[in-house]
Amino acid sequence: MPVHQLLATNAQWAADVAQSDPTFFPTSAQGQSPHTLWIGCADSRVPASVITGAKPGELFVHRNIANQFHPDDKNILSVLRYAVDHLGVEHVVIVGHSRCGGAQACLNAALAPNFVPGNLPIATIEDYPAEEDINRWLEPLTELTASLELGSISDAALQTIVEENVKLQVKNLSQSEVIQRAFENGTTALGKKVQIHGWVYDLATGRLKDLHVSQSSK
Amino acid sequence: MFFRNSLSLFPIILLATALTSIVNVEGHRLSARQNKVDASERLLQGNAQWAASTKKDNTTFFQTSAKGQDPKVLWYGCADSREPESVITNSIPGDIFVHRNIANQVPPEDANSVSVLEYAIKHLKVEHVIIAGHTNCGGANASLSAALAGSSASQTLSDEPSAGALNKWLEPLTEFALSQKSQLSAKSNSDALTVLVEENVKKQVENVSNSEAIQAAWQAETNGTGRAVRVHGWVYDLSTGLIRDLNVTRGPN
Repeated sequence: MPVHQLLATNAQWAADVAQSDPTFFPTSAQGQSPHTLWIGCADSRVPASVITGAKPGELFVHRNIANQFHPDDKNILSVLRYAVDHLGVEHVVIVGHSRCGGAQACLNAALAPNFVPGNLPIATIEDYPAEEDINRWLEPLTELTASLELGSISDAALQTIVEENVKLQVKNLSQSEVIQRAFENGTTALGKKVQIHGWVYDLATGRLKDLHVSQSSK
Repeated sequence: MFFRNSLSLFPIILLATALTSIVNVEGHRLSARQNKVDASERLLQGNAQWAASTKKDNTTFFQTSAKGQDPKVLWYGCADSREPESVITNSIPGDIFVHRNIANQVPPEDANSVSVLEYAIKHLKVEHVIIAGHTNCGGANASLSAALAGSSASQTLSDEPSAGALNKWLEPLTEFALSQKSQLSAKSNSDALTVLVEENVKKQVENVSNSEAIQAAWQAETNGTGRAVRVHGWVYDLSTGLIRDLNVTRGPN
């Protein structure tokens, strides 16, 4: 049963760390000052800290289906607000990844013969009703996919969507009140300069690629 | 209030960090002076090193991983930087499907966290959903402070707009703390926070259990057409690094 294994591996990890550095946990409990907010996909193959070698305390993390930044989503907006204006992170990274299941579903839906652009709601995953949360969640990505006019379902098409999705989410992020204010004022209320970035993780190589769409204060 | 404390302690923490060395998960001591290098560059460098050493240890790991994912576990945790689920459970990419937000909540009307559940249960067919709260949770502390001060549930943080995302997100947690006010105010601040963290985890276990996705899965399991799905509530203790099972696991009746 995997859950008992997780508890056992946790106990071993905690013992190893405490032995290496007895001050690590007591210090960690006193507070956090992460430098980066990571917005990534829930995909099990993209655990932020593992793939970057980051230690506990470095990355404030939000992961959802297909690494979305929906402008009216209070879940992600609360994470952003807390990270930037309360914890003082200096970087916000949107991280997409190759072979994204959410992006694949959107590609399949947008290129289906019966797909009509602009005809909402969209049952991106057709097993479920269009009004189901997962389909409402993927709607903007299916619409983006349709607008790219990719022609056919292929690995190359999927990779295009993965990258264009990250660029769109970085744009959404840049237009958020929190980031707009940080950019316009030069620094945040905590006196930090904030930069935002778009990256893509390649599952086949384990490598992160910077899409070079970073933005910071004018 | 924890948020304010962490702000005023920030320069002290930064100084302390610069003066002490930090142990990474492999046990090497790293100089905190590396904080001076652009953090995003450091992450990319860390990734390059990790990818190279992983490939060296297992030449087919990435190719296999790229073919698909089959995690058995969905983890709902806090966005808190000190609770990286894979590090604290020593798990590898592919093990755990993850959603993290402020105070590890799964509000029934939240399309974000609920869509993760729907995808995990119906599409990936995970067998366990874990709600993992943690001690010293900033979100829980904010709700606790607000409740003890008699604030309204819609104004958890006085320096944030009540209509803003952060106060809206914390509203259910503060409402919950207000409903437990007499029990919580009878305890020390630290004990009261632990209680709220635990009760929040139990509440999220209930939210997940009552979801359409889980109810349908349990129905299928009872009919013999589905496979087992269990919902668990855990609390990660920052001061010891140990996860505690609250033993509130739910399954089909």
